[in-house]
Amino acid sequence: MLRRAVTRNARRLTVGTTLVSGHQACEALVPIMIGVLVDQAVATGNLARLALGVAALALLFFLLNTVYRLGARRLVDAITEEAHRLRLEVAAKVLDPRGARTGLSAGEVLSVSTSDADRTSYLLDYVPRFAGSLVAVIVSAVSLFLISVPLALAVLVATPLLLGGLQLIGPRITRRVADQQEQAGRATALATDLVTGLRPIRGIGAQDAAARRYHEVSRRSLDATLSAARVQGVYRAVSTTVSALLAGGVAILAGWFALTGRISVGQFITVIGLAQFLIEPLGALAGLPGSVADAKASAARINRVLTAEPARPHGDTTGVAPDARLELNGVRAGALEGLDLHLAPGELVGVVCSPAEADALIRLLAVDTVAESGTVTLGGTALADLADPSRHVLVEPHHADLFTGTLRSNVAIGGESPANLKAALKASAADEVVTAHPDGLDGAVTERGTGLSGGQRQRIALARALFAAPPVLVLHDPTTAVDAVTEHTVAHGVRELRHAPGSRSATLVLTGSPALLAQADRVVMLRDGAVSASGAHAELTASNEAYRAVVLR
Amino acid sequence: MTGLPIATATETWRWLRGQLKARPGEVALTLLTGLAAGAASIIAVYALGLLVDDVRDGAGVDAIVPIAVVVVAAAPVAGITTGLSWWLIARLSESILAALRERTLTVALHLPATVLDRTGRGDLLSRVGADVAAIGRAASGVLPQVVSALLLGALSLVAMFGLDWRLGLAGLAAVPSYVLGLRWYLPRSGPQYAAQREAVGARAQQLVESLQGARTVHAYRVSDQHLDALRTTSERARDVERNVFGLFMRFGWRINRSEFLGLAAILTVGFFLVDGGYVTVGETAAAAVLFHRLFNPVALVMFTFDDIQSAGASLARLVGVRQLEQPTPVSRTPSDSSLELRGVSFTYDGTTPVLTDVDLRIEPGERVALVGSTGAGKTTAASLAAGILRPDRGEALVGGVPSHEVPPSAVAVVSQETHVFAGPLIEDLRLARPDGDVAAALATVGALEWASALPSGLDTVVGEGGHPLTAAQAQQLALARLVLLDPAVAVLDEATAEAGSSGARRLEEAALAATRGRTTLVVAHRLTQAAAADRVLVLEHGQVVESGTHDDLVAAGGRYADLWSAWQSR
Repeated sequence: MLRRAVTRNARRLTVGTTLVSGHQACEALVPIMIGVLVDQAVATGNLARLALGVAALALLFFLLNTVYRLGARRLVDAITEEAHRLRLEVAAKVLDPRGARTGLSAGEVLSVSTSDADRTSYLLDYVPRFAGSLVAVIVSAVSLFLISVPLALAVLVATPLLLGGLQLIGPRITRRVADQQEQAGRATALATDLVTGLRPIRGIGAQDAAARRYHEVSRRSLDATLSAARVQGVYRAVSTTVSALLAGGVAILAGWFALTGRISVGQFITVIGLAQFLIEPLGALAGLPGSVADAKASAARINRVLTAEPARPHGDTTGVAPDARLELNGVRAGALEGLDLHLAPGELVGVVCSPAEADALIRLLAVDTVAESGTVTLGGTALADLADPSRHVLVEPHHADLFTGTLRSNVAIGGESPANLKAALKASAADEVVTAHPDGLDGAVTERGTGLSGGQRQRIALARALFAAPPVLVLHDPTTAVDAVTEHTVAHGVRELRHAPGSRSATLVLTGSPALLAQADRVVMLRDGAVSASGAHAELTASNEAYRAVVLR
Repeated sequence: MTGLPIATATETWRWLRGQLKARPGEVALTLLTGLAAGAASIIAVYALGLLVDDVRDGAGVDAIVPIAVVVVAAAPVAGITTGLSWWLIARLSESILAALRERTLTVALHLPATVLDRTGRGDLLSRVGADVAAIGRAASGVLPQVVSALLLGALSLVAMFGLDWRLGLAGLAAVPSYVLGLRWYLPRSGPQYAAQREAVGARAQQLVESLQGARTVHAYRVSDQHLDALRTTSERARDVERNVFGLFMRFGWRINRSEFLGLAAILTVGFFLVDGGYVTVGETAAAAVLFHRLFNPVALVMFTFDDIQSAGASLARLVGVRQLEQPTPVSRTPSDSSLELRGVSFTYDGTTPVLTDVDLRIEPGERVALVGSTGAGKTTAASLAAGILRPDRGEALVGGVPSHEVPPSAVAVVSQETHVFAGPLIEDLRLARPDGDVAAALATVGALEWASALPSGLDTVVGEGGHPLTAAQAQQLALARLVLLDPAVAVLDEATAEAGSSGARRLEEAALAATRGRTTLVVAHRLTQAAAADRVLVLEHGQVVESGTHDDLVAAGGRYADLWSAWQSR
């Protein structure tokens, strides 16, 4: 993954790295120039040399900035492009019609596609950083060697040793600080939690109790933050002392060499500047392994998503008879323990079952899982062998996902012609949602449909499923968030739209709603993962005590 | 929707000055330590400048001894004071922030329902969450660096003036260039960063929608549309990021320019001063090295100015919330536990009436159900009765006292909006009463069995990020809180449909048990709730159209009888 990031950005990376390294070399030349200027111009009183020196300094700064701009521009282009590509690759993998068995939750995939994509792309920042720091160190080292070999050796041995020592404790401190900061983050989490639950809090008049609770956590957070600051303070004290001693020690050594005439005044000044300057590129070099390890870990997570097995097998059967039967025979999967369930064309069948059974059934029919044993077939073909199962068996999940756009774009989600839109809206009682909106069908739907009430979302999702008009439609608790009158409208609407006399559409409704069940041709009740009773709603109500207990209000 | 108030710059400064004035000792100590840290690091450079002169004067090797002593001794002093000042700055700013966030949340928790309905909860949430976090990051991250860099810069300039006032002026020459750079950058960076936040936000929103809705995307075979939308938003975010960086680099040029100007000025002025015999070569070198050492800290201040500015904006938003502080309400004890609406009218927007001239009286201990279709005003009537809203006309009274003036423990509301508070289950319930019998309350609402069976029993962490609870369980917890609070009057407006038929029936039983013996107003979402009440009120278009017992109303064959027969037929 990391190698690919480098190779597919090779051109920008090479040019960018070369230019940024040039910038670092220029930065190293600044203290050298100061020394030269003091030595050659200030100390000699030669005005021409001063003018020349200042002009050279101007040129140096111009060069320094120009190569940086040109180089960094290319690097930023490469980094942002790589992150963008990785993000799209992750999304394409997860949204692939066959799905991806990543083993990650939606939230985790989200963080892979955002922060891991970014962190992996930062590798393209670490490469030039490494090269640039190395160049800065080399330029400084060469200058020091030209001034005095023993001095150069002293600087180049002592600096990495001391910095290495600091780096040993550095990561540990970073981790400790991160832990404490996480503690401190709890106050923020509690604040958002309390404000989110403001109505319930107000309902029991617990505002003062909530404020007291927040106060306690806020004080604990403060303690954690301060102890993190204490640790950082100690680290800063140590690192400042060490680098001051280092720079000071080198300067004193150089001063001694200068006093004994081994180096000139200008060289002495240059050494003071270089000893100070060197700390930064060397520190950057020391910190790089940790950063690269970060990028590696992120790349591994991305790789895990990109190489995940498809959730659905490669089906290739395309031809299914338009009035094929959906048959589940002896199915074991999740909570299902040998379920037999048949749905003939034209039938509207209600299923009354436990949440666990419903979950297993929904996942099977959406081909999110395959049965451990038994068969799930449509017209004799295993559902999993179909090239495009949702074209034949459409499952509208209970928790409806709506998307940013308009009411129209959510209902006519495939973008097909809106000829049957009215009928679908009417059957799902979503026409009320449309008329309640001043812009009608063009009414905006905000992120994930949060601007709509639960009942409105539910009806829009149902309208979308009805509009898609699949041969087999599977609905899961489609009316839990609507009132009794609307529920009636919906039950009749589904019946009229999909099951008019002569219709070959089949519908399976998993529900406990008597209004919907009363419209079904047949109701199947499950218990312990298998069918325990079946018949018309009225029959079961009259004869089956267990059914009455589950279904009646 | 108008937002919550934001403090002006003047108000924010006044508030900040007030906070600093309240802690004079700490502020003085923090400043002194920072100055000491800067002085200790400058004195070493100054000493080395003297050494340059010693070298030029051909001094003996002994000359190094005092210099070495000063340089070596200054190192630990600089280290210790730097570390100490880091901690002191963090302590000062974090203590002020802690007090501010506590005050803000207290004010937020006491905001009237109408204010929150008007402003939306998102604004408040982002203030107590994102804004507090942004200031916190600035306070423990960039603020100490910026303060020490500024102190070091100021002291370095003072040191240059100490060497020679003309050298000082030369160093000062860089300042206008830096300021000009900032003045060029800040007005441009604000909108650019806002555009970046917006583009990245749009990208995140698209990602969340598509990835969390992957099941739906698959079911409706719209992967390509979603990928296209994602490509567009991600490309836009990429381009905006590149623009931001372009701006950043142009700002970098202005910083480099300032660095050059300062350095060239010091060396040139030094040249002539040395020529005129006013300063030594060593002093000029010291000034140049001092200035070179400022490059990184000053650039850091420049580049973090955005963070400081946005922390300032967050601060203004928090100080703004304080302006909403409510006077402590007067609390009057009701004479009995009756609940009454007298000629109450109410409108949310000032034009569309939600309730018109509603009268209702519930005797102590009586249970009354409000029935009506969606939008009839049931929830509004309940909120008025409970004192959450105040009537535009008429009166809402509990025991003869206006509802919003009764003590908080007299009336409890269980609303449709359930929330499980993040943390141990037992802490959630103790919000209602810290010393109540939690187990008994859970038993009353039939929740003790499942609650005890949780992985760590009542100590199980629930809510956001904790053990997930079903909607019905969350509803039971709300009822248990009511039992713990033990109010004389209860208003129930819970939606039970998500629990399914059998679940809803259990919740109804729990609600009955929780409100036994209390004056109870029930907003009936299921007509079985109405059938179990002593009396039923039918609300249509904001007016009471029928009132009586369930049996009487069914027999009367009016609106309620219609609703009841629709309910039963299914």
